[in-house]
Amino acid sequence: MSETTTVGTRALLSGDEAIARGAFEAGVRVATAYPGTPSTEILETLAPCPEVYTEWAPNEKVALEVAIGASLAGARAICSMKHVGLNVASDPLMTASYTGVRGGLVIVSADDPGMFSSQNEQDNRHYARFAKIPMLEPADSQEAKDFVIRAFEISEQFDTPVMVRITTRIAHSKSLVTLGERVEHEPAGFQRDPAKTTMVPGNARRRHQLVEERTKALVAWAETCDLNRVERGDKRIGVITSGVPYQYAREARPRASALKLGLTNPLPAKLIKRFARSVERLYVVEELDPYLEGQIRAVGVKLARAPSSPRCGELSPADVARLLGARRASVAAPAADLPPRPPALCPGCGHRALLTVLKKLKVFVSGDIGCYTLGVQPPLQTMDTCICMGASIGVALGVEKATGRSDNMVAVIGDSTFIHSGITPLVDVVYNQGTTTVIILDNETTAMTGHQAHPATGKTASGEPTHTLRMDDLARAIGVRHVHVVDPYDVRESERLVRDALGRSEPTVIIARRRCVLLDRGRPRVPRQINPEECRGCGICLGHGCPAIVDRTPPGRKRKRVEIIAQLCAGCGVCALLCPSQAIKEAPANG
Amino acid sequence: MAEITNIAIAGVGGQGILLASDVVAGAALCAGHDVKKNEIHGMAQRGGSVISEVRFGAKVHSPVVPDGQVDILLALELLEGLRNAHRLRQSGLVIADDLRIRPAVRPPGAPAYPEDVSDRLRVSAARVIIIPATDLAKQAGNVRAANTVLVGALSQHLPFAVEAWREALRACLRPALVEVNLRAFQLGLEAALRQAQGRPHRS
Repeated sequence: MSETTTVGTRALLSGDEAIARGAFEAGVRVATAYPGTPSTEILETLAPCPEVYTEWAPNEKVALEVAIGASLAGARAICSMKHVGLNVASDPLMTASYTGVRGGLVIVSADDPGMFSSQNEQDNRHYARFAKIPMLEPADSQEAKDFVIRAFEISEQFDTPVMVRITTRIAHSKSLVTLGERVEHEPAGFQRDPAKTTMVPGNARRRHQLVEERTKALVAWAETCDLNRVERGDKRIGVITSGVPYQYAREARPRASALKLGLTNPLPAKLIKRFARSVERLYVVEELDPYLEGQIRAVGVKLARAPSSPRCGELSPADVARLLGARRASVAAPAADLPPRPPALCPGCGHRALLTVLKKLKVFVSGDIGCYTLGVQPPLQTMDTCICMGASIGVALGVEKATGRSDNMVAVIGDSTFIHSGITPLVDVVYNQGTTTVIILDNETTAMTGHQAHPATGKTASGEPTHTLRMDDLARAIGVRHVHVVDPYDVRESERLVRDALGRSEPTVIIARRRCVLLDRGRPRVPRQINPEECRGCGICLGHGCPAIVDRTPPGRKRKRVEIIAQLCAGCGVCALLCPSQAIKEAPANG
Repeated sequence: MAEITNIAIAGVGGQGILLASDVVAGAALCAGHDVKKNEIHGMAQRGGSVISEVRFGAKVHSPVVPDGQVDILLALELLEGLRNAHRLRQSGLVIADDLRIRPAVRPPGAPAYPEDVSDRLRVSAARVIIIPATDLAKQAGNVRAANTVLVGALSQHLPFAVEAWREALRACLRPALVEVNLRAFQLGLEAALRQAQGRPHRS
């Protein structure tokens, strides 16, 4: 296990690292995940541990199924994912609630209020109620570690999967954690017991009754469970809260009484009522949906009149201070006239080269989740849909079936995303006689989340060599007859292949393969430069949004003056191919 | 909340903001404080704005610094400094690299990079120190160590022993990079010292 800074047995750990540490100390045997911000570092922290089998699964559903298998074999298992990953894994989740566990089974959902790196900000606390499983919400890294250890115990005690729900501010904030030793839990091995593990209707009906009995037992246990704690303070104000909002409330109202909930499913109704009676004005402080508030009101507890909590976006310390009527520091207005700095595709990115071709062809782009989604920004503006992992292909097929034409739209999907959930929609295209053009932007890694391995990289989560999935062979096996592999730097060949595909009444898969430039930083590069005598100032090179190509046109001048910044230039040469005047050349060495 | 010190570190993805905040947090920890730090880094390598915050004191609750309570803003780039200057306390201090990085993407209608960015930054806070951190990093032997130069300058304004900083640097860096970063730290520390004595660095 790696730590940032360790003093004795105390370390400064992120919530993700602390969850990994908790699982490690709890004797976890199997850890599975699909990368997704802000959950990725959980598995990355566990991957170097020889005591733990770790895997990047193709998607969250498979990850959870592997963890369920490990649990049924008696091993402690953890499965981590971002919030939207739990949508993918919800199918096994719902029935794993019925089967229960043998070894402790912990599912980590890392939510992203504010959508720092997500397509929605769904509140996954609802999933714990929906699946009827206990949910723990840590409020800092120490709790993240402790709660994961407790989650394994609760899982085994109550025969249920347990959800640990964190948010970006827990996952990516660091705080002090006291480290402990690993305690091994030997798996008992798989045992035949279809009444528990084979969910045909007859068995599932009995298991559902057990789930309801389990919920009753959990409700009774929640009332005295030490994961919930009352902090006695000023009786005039009481706050019920959990997770990072607890920290904001403590800071805004240090002397208030607080009921800090660590177990947020099921809720301790009697404890909440007792706490409510002990204070004059009662507030609920929570992020996103009124998950606690609705249940607390439902048991007849009256809350103080308060400004409404923002249901959209991340809760801030200032929001909480406002909700609790606390005094706030005077805050200056931010400077209004500053240029924004959104993230951009890197210089030399193969995605940009391919998206530039799509821009030129003026086709609609059914997009997906990955770095290439940044193509929605100017100047490329070549990303017309983005729904969820793998949606690009099905959406393009739907447009084709509705409009009867597929010559004006392509589906664009990354390599890791294609393996995650692009394979089944490609089967659909072939089966239902679509003619969709699918472009797999293959950068040989899961780049957006920080370069994790996947089945087509030939490496496992711990870096061991393994079989390399060939996506071209896979597409042919599915029944796609036109499968091409192209280097996206070769924009002319890419354009030819896309044109051919759009004109064809059969599906086509084009794999645009160029390794992520961030993985090839040490590669020798020849920066390009513009010869001002040959440059006609058309500005076409500016149209593909490379950060190394800068507009230096003086105000009022129509003809563009453009400069390539040598330090930023990756030497891909795509701009030179795009230049109609051939004015972009390799810079002389030591120039 | 005066018993908690709040440091914000702002810059452009790829500049080493998260490393700098790890070093500051590590030094506070070595000096015996409770510490929390936050960061938003989903897009940290894609050239977007990145910010990380470190809080230390006897007991820290929120990992997020409330607006208006930043004590020291470390800016690895001038525009990112200006973007976050409003979050400072009235008595706040800015320590910035004299470096301009233009945004990679300029959406239609977006303002141009402010040419007077350093003048505006100088009047944005009670105290502003601008040092040529990138040049000093080159001098130390690695242009990418500008983050550590600024951390060295910051060390002049925080009550930690030099050994706490060195320990944190050694803990956060690969062994091969420790020496060059210790040099960068020292150059930043000296630059801040010169500024405090009214003799700004000439480059």
